[in-house]
Amino acid sequence: MAPQLNSRAATRAQGVRRFKWTVLSPLIALMVFILLPAFVLQGYFSFFSFSIFDAGDDTSFLSYFRASEWVGLDLWKDALTDDKFGFAIIRSLLFAVGVTVGCFVIGFALALLMYRPFRGQGFYYIFFILPMLTVPIVIAYTGEMILYQNGPLNDIIGMVTGTRSDAQFLYKQEVALTTIAAMEIWNWTPFSFIIMMAGLASLPKEPQEAAQILGASKWRIFWEVQLPLLRPVILLALILRFLESMAEFPKTWGLLQGGPGSATETIPVYIFITAWQFFDISYGAVLSYLVLFMMMAIVMSAIWLLRREKKSLDAMYETKPQEG
Amino acid sequence: MAMTKSQRRISYAAFRYLVLTFWLLVVAFPIFWMVSTSFKPDREWFAWPPVYISENATLQNYLAVWGDVTTHSVDEQTGEIKTYAQSLQRPWQALGNSALISVIATTLSVLFGSVLAYGVSRYQILSEGRMFQLLMLRMVPPIVLVAPISIWYSALGLLDTILGLVMLYFLTTLPYAVWMSKSFIDEVPREMEQAAEILGASRWRTIWEVVLPLVRSGLVATFLFILILTWSEYLLALLLSKAQIVTLPVELSKYQGSTEGRVYGRQAALSVGITLPLIVVGMIIRKHLARGFSFGMVRR
Repeated sequence: MAPQLNSRAATRAQGVRRFKWTVLSPLIALMVFILLPAFVLQGYFSFFSFSIFDAGDDTSFLSYFRASEWVGLDLWKDALTDDKFGFAIIRSLLFAVGVTVGCFVIGFALALLMYRPFRGQGFYYIFFILPMLTVPIVIAYTGEMILYQNGPLNDIIGMVTGTRSDAQFLYKQEVALTTIAAMEIWNWTPFSFIIMMAGLASLPKEPQEAAQILGASKWRIFWEVQLPLLRPVILLALILRFLESMAEFPKTWGLLQGGPGSATETIPVYIFITAWQFFDISYGAVLSYLVLFMMMAIVMSAIWLLRREKKSLDAMYETKPQEG
Repeated sequence: MAMTKSQRRISYAAFRYLVLTFWLLVVAFPIFWMVSTSFKPDREWFAWPPVYISENATLQNYLAVWGDVTTHSVDEQTGEIKTYAQSLQRPWQALGNSALISVIATTLSVLFGSVLAYGVSRYQILSEGRMFQLLMLRMVPPIVLVAPISIWYSALGLLDTILGLVMLYFLTTLPYAVWMSKSFIDEVPREMEQAAEILGASRWRTIWEVVLPLVRSGLVATFLFILILTWSEYLLALLLSKAQIVTLPVELSKYQGSTEGRVYGRQAALSVGITLPLIVVGMIIRKHLARGFSFGMVRR
């Protein structure tokens, strides 16, 4: 009996293995044939200087290699001492931090006001998720219509303050990035809001009730019971929003193309300008690699954090039935 | 003066409605402005004071954007015929391309993602570490790879093709598809599958005929969630398309670049067309939106 069982388990394991590789093969194929060659090409061009202009009229794939020439680490050195690149990184980080905090504070505040049922809850919820459903590039252009000097925002400010307002929100260096950040916050607050609503709604009731019976004030319950339980969800809302706003492109590019001056030249815009306006493929490749390394480091630590939180959650939910 | 408990409750409720209504206005105004502008005649686009609701509402913008441009954009006051970069305008093609690309990519992503999610849920074919690594496909900004991909695509003849974009959309939305459909599959009891297995059904038949139908509504939600992402994607669509294909967001951005100056009414009319499908889709799945990006962090 025993050997037969063993061989049955073996065929079963074999079946699972076959299933695994069948399911994974399209993903692996795409990674090997699309992403991997792109990485390799990127690496090649970061050591062999090449711009589309070098190839002249010959736009065949091989001509790119013929026209490129070995420059070793020169471009890497250039990139590491490139002030504009440094500023782009700082700008992107500031932008992402501002947007993340903005989305989170507004989204969390709204969720706290709304997570207990009340009359009109569904009505407000429907409206509050709308910005997320509006295509980013549409928001960019609609934003311009509203923010333009003779637009409705200045009119409304004028009505409230009683004096004619003609503020420039977009084409002024000092405020351009903040304006784009405000649009991004408008666009993605629903994301934080939805996550925090779901998080608050899923909180177990028992600890709160216990604290209430023990006479804890509402504030204390919030700080010492609800907030710690919400930590995984909060981290998730912050991390995802930060990563997505580091990559923000449609609004910054679609509206201001990095301008006025270079006030909105974030990382994606700077790489875009390098590779698609100056057609400097090689320098773009170097910048891309540097950003890739930076983002990989950020993403890996983010993933490490998320996994740690998920593990503690799993542990909590696994032990719960035994207690109760 | 100290407030009684019921007074406090009433003032809290008033405070809540005040704050929520303020945010409601902030959220609704841009959308209102977009819709309102799409019905304004040319002379009201830049009027001061701004026109909030046009008394001369017209369909002229919609006809000019979606219909025959030359017959409908004659300015009534000046008699001037507007030809905003007409050669570049291909709204119907953009609509067709957008629909085709996002539906194909989303379908593939959900089909493949849900089978993968089944494997992870039942047989752990990907460890939890690998599942999180999968997220990198989504979290690394696409701008860092799009230049070499466009070179590689031009060598493969995939540049400016529907297939080329579909493959990338598939890759970048797969993490969401797997994570989201896994959250639904995890909730399905295994007894049904085990019964099917005992009756001799193959693994694939069990998946197609037992498991996936059980999570049908979850898969619809996953599909619509990913459709939102692919429909509004801009960067890849802009950089990997040239003359042959065009998606709606790229089509819209052409108006901004046109040399005839800003044409707000037209932009707004096109924007309404792009946004409407997403709002409908979003309303259908509003209860499931949290799953799309909670990666198992929100428990029920």
